[in-house]
Amino acid sequence: MSSVKDQGPIHWRTLAERDGDPEFSKVAEREFSTELEGDIAEAELSPADSTGRRRFLKVMGGAAAAAATVACGEEQDGIRWKKDYILPFSRRPPDHVPGVPKSFSTVYEHAGVGIGVRVTSYDGRPIKVEGNPNHPDSLGAATVFAQAAVFEMYDPDRSRGPARIAGAKRSAADWASFEGEGRKIFDNSKAKGGQGLVFVSEASSSPALADMLRRLMNEYPQAKWYEWEPASRDNARAGAALAFGAAHRTHVQLEKARVVLCLDADVMSEEPSALRHARAMMSTRKPEAGYMTRLYAVESRFTSTGGVADHRLPLPSTYIKAFAATLDAEVSAALGGDAAGGAQQKPAAAFLNGPKVAAFLKTVVKELVANRGKSAVVVGPSQPPVVHALVHRINEVLGNVGGAISYLAEPEPARPHHRDAIKTLVGEMNSGQVETIVVLGANPVYDAPADLGFEKAYSKIKYRIRLGVYEDETSNASTWHLPAAHWLERWWDARASDGTLSIAQPIVEPLFQGRTPTELLAFILNDEQQKGLDILRRVHAGWGSDDRAWKRALHEGIVPGTAFNGTEPEVQTIAPVKLTAEELGGLDVENGKLELVLCPDSKVYDGRFGNNPWLQELPDMMTKLTWDNAALMSPATAEKLGVGDATWVELSIGSRSLEVPALMAPGVAPGTVVLSYGYGRTHAGRFGGQPGVDPVGANAYALRTTEVFDPSRGLSVKATGKRAKLSTTQDKHVIDQVGRDGTEERLPQLVREQTLAAYKKQPDAVRHAVHHEPLLSLWNEPVSYDGHKWGMSVDLSRCVGCNACIVACQAENNIPVVGKHKVSRGKEMHWLRIDRYFKGDAEDPQLVQQPVTCHHCEHAPCEQVCPVAATSHSSEGLNDMVYNRCIGTRYCSNNCPYKVRRFNFHNYHDDMKDPDNQVKGMSFNPEVTVRFRGVMEKCSFCVQRIRKVTIEAKNHRRPVEDGEIVTACQQTCPTEAIVFGDLNDGASRVAELQNRPRSYAMLEELNVRPRLKYLARVRNPNPELAPPEEGDAKPKGGHG
Amino acid sequence: MTTAAPEADDIHLNAYQGPLKPTDNPFAELTENVIRVTEVPKPPRAWYIAFAISLAALTMFGGSIGYVFYEGIGAWGNMIPVAWAFPIVNFVFWVGIGHAGTLISAILFLLRARWRTAINRSAEAMTIFAVICALTFPGIHIGRPWLPYWMFPIPNQMDLWPQFRSPLEWDVFAVGTYFTVSLLFWYIGMIPDLAAIRDRAKERTRQAIYGAFAMGWRGSSRQWHRYERAYLILAALATPLVLSVHSVVSFDFATAQLPGWHTTIFPPYFVAGAIFSGFAMVVTLLVPARQFFGLKRIIRMEHLENMNKVILATGTMVGYAYGMEFFIAWYGANPYETFAFVNRAFGPYAWAYWTMVSCNVIFPQLFWFKKIRTSIPAMMVICALVNVGMWFERFVIIVTSLNRDFLPSSWGYFLPTAFDFMTLVGSFGLFFTLFLLFCRYLPLVAVAEVKATLPEAHAHDGDH
Repeated sequence: MSSVKDQGPIHWRTLAERDGDPEFSKVAEREFSTELEGDIAEAELSPADSTGRRRFLKVMGGAAAAAATVACGEEQDGIRWKKDYILPFSRRPPDHVPGVPKSFSTVYEHAGVGIGVRVTSYDGRPIKVEGNPNHPDSLGAATVFAQAAVFEMYDPDRSRGPARIAGAKRSAADWASFEGEGRKIFDNSKAKGGQGLVFVSEASSSPALADMLRRLMNEYPQAKWYEWEPASRDNARAGAALAFGAAHRTHVQLEKARVVLCLDADVMSEEPSALRHARAMMSTRKPEAGYMTRLYAVESRFTSTGGVADHRLPLPSTYIKAFAATLDAEVSAALGGDAAGGAQQKPAAAFLNGPKVAAFLKTVVKELVANRGKSAVVVGPSQPPVVHALVHRINEVLGNVGGAISYLAEPEPARPHHRDAIKTLVGEMNSGQVETIVVLGANPVYDAPADLGFEKAYSKIKYRIRLGVYEDETSNASTWHLPAAHWLERWWDARASDGTLSIAQPIVEPLFQGRTPTELLAFILNDEQQKGLDILRRVHAGWGSDDRAWKRALHEGIVPGTAFNGTEPEVQTIAPVKLTAEELGGLDVENGKLELVLCPDSKVYDGRFGNNPWLQELPDMMTKLTWDNAALMSPATAEKLGVGDATWVELSIGSRSLEVPALMAPGVAPGTVVLSYGYGRTHAGRFGGQPGVDPVGANAYALRTTEVFDPSRGLSVKATGKRAKLSTTQDKHVIDQVGRDGTEERLPQLVREQTLAAYKKQPDAVRHAVHHEPLLSLWNEPVSYDGHKWGMSVDLSRCVGCNACIVACQAENNIPVVGKHKVSRGKEMHWLRIDRYFKGDAEDPQLVQQPVTCHHCEHAPCEQVCPVAATSHSSEGLNDMVYNRCIGTRYCSNNCPYKVRRFNFHNYHDDMKDPDNQVKGMSFNPEVTVRFRGVMEKCSFCVQRIRKVTIEAKNHRRPVEDGEIVTACQQTCPTEAIVFGDLNDGASRVAELQNRPRSYAMLEELNVRPRLKYLARVRNPNPELAPPEEGDAKPKGGHG
Repeated sequence: MTTAAPEADDIHLNAYQGPLKPTDNPFAELTENVIRVTEVPKPPRAWYIAFAISLAALTMFGGSIGYVFYEGIGAWGNMIPVAWAFPIVNFVFWVGIGHAGTLISAILFLLRARWRTAINRSAEAMTIFAVICALTFPGIHIGRPWLPYWMFPIPNQMDLWPQFRSPLEWDVFAVGTYFTVSLLFWYIGMIPDLAAIRDRAKERTRQAIYGAFAMGWRGSSRQWHRYERAYLILAALATPLVLSVHSVVSFDFATAQLPGWHTTIFPPYFVAGAIFSGFAMVVTLLVPARQFFGLKRIIRMEHLENMNKVILATGTMVGYAYGMEFFIAWYGANPYETFAFVNRAFGPYAWAYWTMVSCNVIFPQLFWFKKIRTSIPAMMVICALVNVGMWFERFVIIVTSLNRDFLPSSWGYFLPTAFDFMTLVGSFGLFFTLFLLFCRYLPLVAVAEVKATLPEAHAHDGDH
């Protein structure tokens, strides 16, 4: 090609060119550089030549580098955390190694029942609440409420100091000025013997508080003390009094039963001892052992107990009285002899004639009688006293007392029913007898029965002193607000449901000058002991004067041998139950005569957690609703009432009405509308509602009167047709027929189930639910997993869907909340979710709960598609997420068949820019990165916990023992449904579980080789009630 | 597509069939006609109106991106499970649009379809601008938009390389290469015309700017020789790229295991769809352009008709692909895949699916009628519908597959936000702004190439 120089041209343009004029050559050369041509020629002639290729790569590499330099120039300011300086201790406290978390036992008191917990403290900050295995009501698990306390502890909205309040005017004050003013008030009152001094306290089992109350009554004999809990359990006390003549506490031990019948009782998640009950129940449901306790549930709303039950009968709560009377009649008749005497007559209730109810009742009676002495009938707190009394009788005639049922001495047996107490109190306030009121923790301005006009009566009182963690509705109606110490900040004591005493120790000094109720009482009394600790030690001077015993009690979290004494009360004759015409009705839906069930919420309880976004954003167990309550009704009821799903309705009962969104909830009894209270707060805080922030949900207390306190009839529902915006984490929009068909088709493969009978016949039937090609690998496995091979097993038979794992994960892994709107837009962040599926008839469905988290696939689809390798495989099989490498393409999420990846669409910690909110930062677990916006995140199998143990084992040159590594979700699971461990260790529990015949991998046909495997759900239906083969994993298609 | 290309030579459809009245020098006349557009002191009023609208949309584009950078991509409706939505839909859409130019330039050039000369310049320009629009999206759609350069293989102290197994990484190279080659191709093809503008320029600055870009073009036959070789080489390079770039883009979906994405038909289907939408966009742009700049005699009805034939052909292919997808979903008997397609057609996004089918399959069939494919209003409407349909095609593929994948518990319904729409409309602003600037300042028609197709350039051919 280089022709210009070499030879004379044949064709020419000018003479100069022909003659080879050097001038022309120069011009020509400038135009067509022969040097460059040479290079191109070389490359063209020998494309495979290595020199040419290298040169090509060199040039291209240079170009890429140049392009990159331009791109790199971008500033990265504003995306890094602020630099901070810390100071070392000049003298290190003994036992304290900075950065090494410590764990302390303490007790969390919830509505008068203590639940022992262990709190992880990191450099003096409590960051995680876990159950205390020593405690009888915890057994190592913790409720959502106890765990979410970490957020509450550092809630920027917590009250930060005393305040003087006069109507809308509020002025910050300090304890000294309160003490000055308070001294005068209380001294005056003392002069009158306490006349006009009233105390309202939330329920408490604290002996220290009881002691202070006793001292108070000595000094102020005329003073009054009332206890108030909106979600009262006093029906049980009244029922016991009715049955036995005196209050006795029922102590249920489900592990001793073979047949359990729950009447409107959510023993798995709502009872104070729910954690213990759930553990006990599941410990007797072991398909591998060939035996499962059979659980029957009769309930109006769908609870987690109903979800676990082998048979569930949706029945309006107000019909349970007649149901219990029938049960008593029939059980007694079946037993004959002594039992028949004093039995109820079978009421002539229309609903009893329904084939479903009749069959259910017949079977239950048969089973209870057949298993007499080994059965248990449990009734829920919202049932009227007479039902409790009947159940005591039934348990007695069945001989269950002494087995699963036993009785304990009830403390303060004379205390009036909460409902009556608050009624009396309001009467006194209205009559002008009250001069000073001290409200210790309760929030009656918000949650007292609506017909009492509590707030108005309250405002008539001259001195209104409120001790509370938040400046809530009651504080705002008071004259003085005083900050209460959070339970993580206080010396306290509390008793478990069986009476076992625990001492609460502060994990941290009060952040905001909070005091305990005992300390406030000590001030009022001018007590010689003013400090919470001193008050406690005085009360427990008996055993506690021994420092070693005291320390041991703090360390263990319980004081052994302090349970209430057992009692052996005798059931007296129970008068024939009076049943109104309404209570004898049928199961038809008639507007105006509907049943209204007002119940505590599974997330915000009675409203006290209204400002806790961890709980607000927690999906409800059944509805998966977040940041809202709704009027739940079954689809057929809604249809009958002309109510559309997620539309506003007006509920009216008596003279009161309330607009709330309605939500169709399969499994709610016909004609029943369920509404949880605890929402619609006006002074909760920035999350739950305050002036300027709309309340979350509707305030169901507006409908709750002293008459309509427990489930009542007479409700009418008016459909408005207005669409309501509800944020659920599942079924975000109405699923159409296509979606329903698709769900129906695939669910048996995703959530596999068997009956116990079928399991015994063919234990591995669930493994044949999906037929697929052999799962081969296209390549030699790059990772051999020589060391550890982490895996997890989740037992669907054990999961009750209590949500404890979700909150545990949230606290452990610094998972942010996103708010109602963003949940509705599919941006929630929970790493672990509980998928809930209904099965069968929408009026009486079966339920399956399936916890889903990252499956840590060996062939992880997410890893292969990340362009920057931000999610990659560890040598131990963990699917690691490298936050600082992630650029946020979200491809991994698209390719994840389990959709467990969560994306930081926004900066969810933006609020911490405000110095006032920085207290929130103290709740973070320092061992887990707080993620910035734009990165993907997901379950890491608590890699920080794995590392902690493996490093320690390595330092001690010992192998990691099975069970040493416990993930956060596993730790708190009350039923021990989640097991984590090393699959390489053949003796590990997880390896054993994954090898069980009913273990299966969800979507294994995709050949992703998940490390998380499920154990199929096994039900134990009574063949007399269950349609044949129902609930079996039916292999789809034939073999081959 | 092939319906038009092989016949082009036979029907001997030359780009410029002489002026209406005989003139001495048709070459000069042609130059005058095309280049005058860049020289007149003021463009037509319609240009100003269009430019103002486009610029406003472009401003909105910038503003919405600015907000997204500030707030995070949560400003868009993207969610879990639909983690990819408008930005990726727009990306695929614009990459698809960017196919026509190179196809016309490269493949039709290699096939010697001479009718392409009338439209290739503007089609190439459109390609460049469409790919620019497309390229904005991968950068802005990521969660941390200040870090897209991590996808480039830049040597660094941590020895961290991109992950070459990821189709997104392949995209970086495929689209990057395509853009580079298209830009070079367009620019090299324009050099003689830029030189012509330079030669006609009277002002100093004009001479200097166009002169710089003309790179010293003097029209020597040596230059012409090298120029044509370079053009041919680039055409040969670009031809496989036309097929590869959208194939690689389709791998983003095809290699994922999501039902509805995981299908082997995607590469050819995407390429056909890309050409389909690209041609529709060329027609949409050229019809007004030839009107306003008086180029009707150069960009003739025959050219438009040929493009419509290509649209008809590729539209039919796309229709075949839609049908085949359903057939395979049924025949493959994978319940998840079957569901994905039933859900597409009859699920919550059925409206999007049927919009797509009617726009892409049904309406283009009207081009079987010569009357319709030679009617300016009809072709404008149909081509606009095709573009709508092709945008929806990507929406349907991406969103309806993601919204209901394996586990019903995770199903969600994607709803776009205002920012989604602002970014979509804004990207058109960017596109039209660039195209309008091109119309005003660069030769809309490849003058030099058209001249080569004139009868005068083939004195011996025409005499038979």
